[in-house]
Amino acid sequence: MSIITTKNLSKEYSSKSFSKEKILALNNFSFEVESGEIFGILGPNGAGKTTLIKILLGITHRTKGEVKIFDNEINTEAYKMKVGYLPENHKFPNYLNGEQVMEFYGKMSGMSSADVGKKTNDLLKLVDMEKWRKTKIKKYSKGMLQRLGLAQAMINDPELIFLDEPTDGVDPIGRKEIRDILENLKDRGKTIFLNSHLLSEVELICDRVAIMHKGSLVKSGRVDEITHISDNYIINCSDVSEVIMNRLMMNFKATILSINEFHFKTDNIDELNRLIDFMRQNNILIRGIQREKNTLENMFINLIGSQN
Amino acid sequence: MIFLTLVLSTFREAVAKKIFLGFFAISTLVILIFLFLINVESVEGMVDMMGAAGDEGIRKLVIGFEVAMIDISYLLIITFCLISVSSFIPSMLEKGNIDLLLSKPISRTNIILAKFTGGVMLVFFSLVYLIGFVWIILSSKSGFWHFPFLYTILWLTLSFAIIYSLIIFIGLVSQSTILSILVSFFLVFIVCPILYVREATIFSLVENNVVQFIINFFYYILPKPNDINKITTDIITGEEVNSYMPVFSSILFMLAVLSASVFYFKKKDY
Ligand SMILES: Nc1ncnc2c1ncn2[C@@H]1O[C@H](COP(=O)(O)OP(=O)(O)OP(=O)(O)O)[C@@H](O)[C@H]1O
Ligand SMILES: [Mg+2]
Repeated sequence: MSIITTKNLSKEYSSKSFSKEKILALNNFSFEVESGEIFGILGPNGAGKTTLIKILLGITHRTKGEVKIFDNEINTEAYKMKVGYLPENHKFPNYLNGEQVMEFYGKMSGMSSADVGKKTNDLLKLVDMEKWRKTKIKKYSKGMLQRLGLAQAMINDPELIFLDEPTDGVDPIGRKEIRDILENLKDRGKTIFLNSHLLSEVELICDRVAIMHKGSLVKSGRVDEITHISDNYIINCSDVSEVIMNRLMMNFKATILSINEFHFKTDNIDELNRLIDFMRQNNILIRGIQREKNTLENMFINLIGSQN
Repeated sequence: MIFLTLVLSTFREAVAKKIFLGFFAISTLVILIFLFLINVESVEGMVDMMGAAGDEGIRKLVIGFEVAMIDISYLLIITFCLISVSSFIPSMLEKGNIDLLLSKPISRTNIILAKFTGGVMLVFFSLVYLIGFVWIILSSKSGFWHFPFLYTILWLTLSFAIIYSLIIFIGLVSQSTILSILVSFFLVFIVCPILYVREATIFSLVENNVVQFIINFFYYILPKPNDINKITTDIITGEEVNSYMPVFSSILFMLAVLSASVFYFKKKDY
């Protein structure tokens, strides 16, 4: 069942006040997020990722197109009861302490004081911020604010959570902890929608991703489908003669990088072994074979690079 | 419930920004000065003298003090409250803060109304303290419990609410605290007083009908805090109030500006 559906969603911003010039932040963007999955949006700066989230939450108005969340049009506020949100560069009122931030946003989500109190305890423990609960947030570090922001986004036990750069400013251990929290939410049947620049991270936790560029959807699908196009092998060996080099290129379609290094692309392990046999028969010493998987990052760079 | 949370957050913001503290400090100072004045010899003597003239004398004296108090508190509210509440909207609109607020299950109309209610209640409670205290001092000292003076709390709150609506609108459009303060001060201290005395001043200088029409036009559409003060004074002194038109037209102004604020806020992208 899909929990978010958009059809031909477009957003035009006027670039300057009093100017007719428009920025197309979203361009006929259609996609779906399934219930219970972790969905990642990737894209370079200014691609329109934040704009997309803001439209889904009614913070920014769309120019045209359709949006459905929980199978309803988003023309009332009711669906926001079941939604959590961590904005990018969030700014909580800095005179509050950690606990009061949770209380304020919990109550703003329609929770009772008792529920907020109980949930606050659990969540602050979960994001490892318990000992800071009574400290004013103006004394927090960036990572601490981010952890609190994440706890805040979960305060109302939402069905659907939007996270805009959730690991921004968080140290590697904290990032791992956040990933675990997200996995845990997923196991409990929650849907997570996240934006991130950290592709390796997206690769680790997302079930599906959409890559966007200049407001348009460039590619979407399961992470393993997108990244697994073909396997690339980097082969280091003793110096090869020109004759052998030519045969490697002709027969095996290898990409020669230097006199003792070349790339060989194949999905078929027999093919690789035929190559090794050929090299051994020609008395070439193999120094190492490294299998290079197509990472999301490579894929992203190739894809966006080819668009520019 | 969500609405109430937002209203109360305005209070918390006021406490955090030391607005309450400031107002209580200033109010307390006024009250102390007042206490001092009442206890100085000459006033004591005056009370005795007036007392000798019977209850009527006491009444006149008390009312005299009360009328002076209205002018003092009016100035206090305008200078202090306007400055303090004018940052509410711009700070709410800061990037990263407004996004999160708008993702909560509360309509934009209610966000504006909650901010409005919060500010008005803030000033109401501050006035209860200031006016209430003065009233108790005055009454216990004179033995004359003059209840109409307490209406001043409501009238001054109304004046504040009317100008606050404009502050909200300017804050929304400009996202600037300074501009909100400047415009409201310009209106309250220059435009409104001049329009209030337009007949005695401008009209005696300029006899052109068109100019007079234009100035009258502005007088009728803009808020009229000076007239409201006059009405308050009249009620306290027991004089007959000529017309409540200034009150109704000012409330109309407030409603129009609030509607414009809601309309603008609803359309805007954040
Ligand atoms: N309020 C606004 N007014 C005008 N233009 C805007 C506004 N917000 C965003 N834009 C423009 O819309 C485009 C998309 O911005 P958006 O913030 O959605 O990008 P993003 O993908 O989130 O980028 P980043 O990775 O840097 O966060 C940009 O060109 C930006 O300049
Ligand atoms: Mg962004």
